Amino acid sequence: MGALDGIRIADFSWVGAGPRATKDLADNGAQVIKIESRKRLDLGRRSPPFANGDAKNPDASAFFAQTNTSKWSATINLSDPRGVEVAKRLVEWADVVVENFGPGYMERIGLGYPVLAAINPGIILASVSVAGRTGPMAGFRGYGNSAAAHSGHAAMSGWPASDPHMPPFAYGDVVAPMFLTVAILSALESRARTGEGCHVDVSQIEPMVHVIADLFAADATEKPGNSDPRMAPHGVYPCAGRDAWIAIAAETEADWQSLCDVLGAGAMATDRSFATREARLRNATALDAEIAALTAAQDRHDLAGRLTAAGVPAAAVLDGRDLAESADLHASGHFVSVDHPVLGPSDMPAPPMRMSATPHAVGPSPCLGQHNEAVFRDILGMEAREIEALAAEGVLA
Amino acid sequence: MTLLHGLRVVVFADGLTDLGARMLSGLGANVVLAGETGERTPAQGQAWLSDLREAGPGEALATLLDGADIFLDGRRRRAAATDDPRDGRPRLIHVVANADNLRDLPVTDLTLMAASGLMTVIGEPDRPPLRLPGEQAYALTGIQVATAALMGLAARRRTGQGQRIDVSAVQSATLANYREAVMYAWTGRSGRRKGNLLVRGKSGVRQVWPCADGHVTWSMIDNPGMMRAVVAKMAEQGMAGELADVAWDAILVADTDQDVIERWQGLVAAFFAAHDKATLGRWSLDEGWGLSPIATLDEVRNSAHLAARGFWREVPDGQGGTTRLPGPLFLVHPAPGAASEEAAE
Repeated sequence: MGALDGIRIADFSWVGAGPRATKDLADNGAQVIKIESRKRLDLGRRSPPFANGDAKNPDASAFFAQTNTSKWSATINLSDPRGVEVAKRLVEWADVVVENFGPGYMERIGLGYPVLAAINPGIILASVSVAGRTGPMAGFRGYGNSAAAHSGHAAMSGWPASDPHMPPFAYGDVVAPMFLTVAILSALESRARTGEGCHVDVSQIEPMVHVIADLFAADATEKPGNSDPRMAPHGVYPCAGRDAWIAIAAETEADWQSLCDVLGAGAMATDRSFATREARLRNATALDAEIAALTAAQDRHDLAGRLTAAGVPAAAVLDGRDLAESADLHASGHFVSVDHPVLGPSDMPAPPMRMSATPHAVGPSPCLGQHNEAVFRDILGMEAREIEALAAEGVLA
Repeated sequence: MTLLHGLRVVVFADGLTDLGARMLSGLGANVVLAGETGERTPAQGQAWLSDLREAGPGEALATLLDGADIFLDGRRRRAAATDDPRDGRPRLIHVVANADNLRDLPVTDLTLMAASGLMTVIGEPDRPPLRLPGEQAYALTGIQVATAALMGLAARRRTGQGQRIDVSAVQSATLANYREAVMYAWTGRSGRRKGNLLVRGKSGVRQVWPCADGHVTWSMIDNPGMMRAVVAKMAEQGMAGELADVAWDAILVADTDQDVIERWQGLVAAFFAAHDKATLGRWSLDEGWGLSPIATLDEVRNSAHLAARGFWREVPDGQGGTTRLPGPLFLVHPAPGAASEEAAE
């Protein structure tokens, strides 16, 4: 039994920002029907890496697979008015409709919130877009990295006194869907009390501002890099091997003493320049150099193990290989093996929580249109002849 | 925002639970701060905890929990936390924020970011791995804490029972890394730091460009409509050069030789350098370029767009003034309860 058993989601979203939220819901028991089309393929299905390098197979993308676990797929061509009429029947069935189309698209095809609410008064429409559905920038077309630019993230990323930095992943496509999940769950809770649906409008920019609210409160003007105003040492130090590093933070005086013990840092431990936290913060550059000299020949995993055993916050800086092969991440249930008809048994990320009474269950992502019959015949009650005709005419495609 | 009006939440804050408590409070829940560990800067306290009501001297944790729906339990170094708050409170949703669900690790935001794999791809190739600004591992865990609480609430509506939910900070941070593990698993390649270069296919393209008064972000990617729109404006300004002759539908930027990309990017760089952020941003909005001005925190605070969406709120700074901080988590239309109020009129 999942936490969200019985919740029905009509998911019109694609690529990353919407699908990551509906994955959260599907893995926890909600029935999520992904409405997509061969006529306008979800770009996630075209995103690498691909099983056997088969970029032309819409079911071979591992990126899509990990973003859409536990969902169903039905194909509806929304550019055909008859497709929109079928979609409206799914709206009648659903508790929640999710979309992340470009500005005005849902209204243009006749699926704006007033229409949805007329079909199903309790419906919750959940929208996520770069700038939100209102305001002077509501028509902005951009990407997850656009939100990093507009929120202050890009300006505050990178080393102090350097140009703005854009890492090679769209953090806005991570944070915004998490806010979307919270928005949907809180709207469902509100509806359970009032009987009323609503339209929740999540902008990618705003969650990105929320997660650096402390920098706004501090009126920060310089990039923090890896430093922290409360802790020294607090940084990343070299270890043995190519691009091998360890992160170490001394949060308390006890951490500092233990760090010196583990590193065998007799001189550093007694150096008056580092005797108090204030002194260490003041002399952070020299302190970092001392620690780097002591870590440089050590194995990052071994050192992290010894430091954490002594109570010092520390971790090897991991890369993609480390993550994929991590015994801990597999043992903790972060990665679960899921059998997929094209990818075969594959590791998929699971929700980062263990629910004692209603555990999650991660199933495979759907192949394109895999659940057409179950959706159109069993859920919507359409006749086989009608389904065949609409499919033949490219409406259910 | 009142989606969660009437919900009673108790929090023990320690960094991992802070944003979760702030989110539930922002959604209308009554959130009481029962205690906190870990040292915060005044700005961190203001950002995460200033909305919460502090428990009074006579309000013991047990008393607070007797009246609570949800307990966000962030006793991160939790040697003393051996009690089970659900004893005698079967409807309580007990969300425990752990460093890791396998074992009790000493962690901070920095070490969690290191474990997430993200730091390996953030920063410059010739410098150490770098974290994101702020405390993003704590923030990611906090959002998962709020999600867990709401999942527990949804389940309780059906079963009548609360439950214990353990949220892993290591997993919360690692889940944000949606590229690196899957790329290694299927290609055998691990990403490294590339500065502001976005590498796709056989070529790398710039993501950050100087302009007349700061920086903008834009990339030469395989989106023919966007490329035509940018080049049309460059041509209008007499700055398109050879780009005016490229058939964008017929080529793939990702398959173009790096020296050609560099030549094309030189033309784009000169065009951007000749204009300011506001002009480039306006053209992007009007013509769908996907370009964004890179805003400083001050420019974000003064954004007309965010102001129009009612995004900011003024929070007392404890010194007689206020600080402008983010307000609503998202917008809700119609406001909760509006329909029933309308019907009553």
